[in-house]
Amino acid sequence: MEFFQKSIHMASSHLPNYLRANRKRLGVSQDDVACLLGARSGGKVCRYERGAREPSLRVALAYETIFKRPIRELFAGLHDEVKREVTAHAKRMMRKIDPAKAGNQSARKSESLAAIAKGKRVKPKAP
Amino acid sequence: MTKTFQRKNNIILAIVPSSRGFGFAALEGRDTLVDWGLSIVTGDKNSGSLKNIEKMIADYRPRVLVLHDASAKGYRKGPRIRKLVTDIVVLAKERTMNVALLSRDQLMQAFFIDGKGTKYTVAQVLAKRFPEELGHRLPLKRKAWSSESHRMAIFEAVAVAFAQRLRAKGL
Repeated sequence: MEFFQKSIHMASSHLPNYLRANRKRLGVSQDDVACLLGARSGGKVCRYERGAREPSLRVALAYETIFKRPIRELFAGLHDEVKREVTAHAKRMMRKIDPAKAGNQSARKSESLAAIAKGKRVKPKAP
Repeated sequence: MTKTFQRKNNIILAIVPSSRGFGFAALEGRDTLVDWGLSIVTGDKNSGSLKNIEKMIADYRPRVLVLHDASAKGYRKGPRIRKLVTDIVVLAKERTMNVALLSRDQLMQAFFIDGKGTKYTVAQVLAKRFPEELGHRLPLKRKAWSSESHRMAIFEAVAVAFAQRLRAKGL
């Protein structure tokens, strides 16, 4: 999980996460959410809400279950950052593909990478 | 892990100092409340409030900070709160933030066509507009002999933020 290990520089129009707003909407305390997540105290929940700690995938899915909102909405700022990084990686990979050696397989691959770089859905190839 | 969030966000942060601390509301985008509540401060209320507000500014990096205009006609808070408002403006200017000051008249004109309303009617409008967020926090209408609920500071903060949003849109 490279994204979570290095320092994150975000240039997003969103907040890193919307956990606090969603918790307040439900009218529950940090301790209540901690109990639902299986944590011991609300301290961890506070750190998640402040963005001082990244939740594990398990915790993120638990949040999705509690707030009934998709992870990408709950962690909108983080989602924007990850999306930007993946897009940059896709562009870098596209540059590495040698068009001279392009066979059927790499044509499909570069098509897929182009779609990822543009943030579009990769279309399934017709048989 | 260190994080640097460089946001070009569209958040309006409203602060309304009260006798117990301050009410706050952070409004994002067109009309999404991302945070709201009452920060209760004990001890030296002004310095405690300033500390909390500083933390909030660092967290949200708002585009604009909105406050009641303490110099406007009809502002009825005491000298401590007037001083706090001035200190908040100074703090925001130090952070090179935009500050908007709204008088009571400007606030009422944003909510009612004739500009005539009370804090409670504004709170009722907001409770209907944000039922999930504020519906359950609306206090009962107070009697003439009872004091105002401290929760009204939350509604005032949301009202100020919302009025600023409407003003910015030119509505």
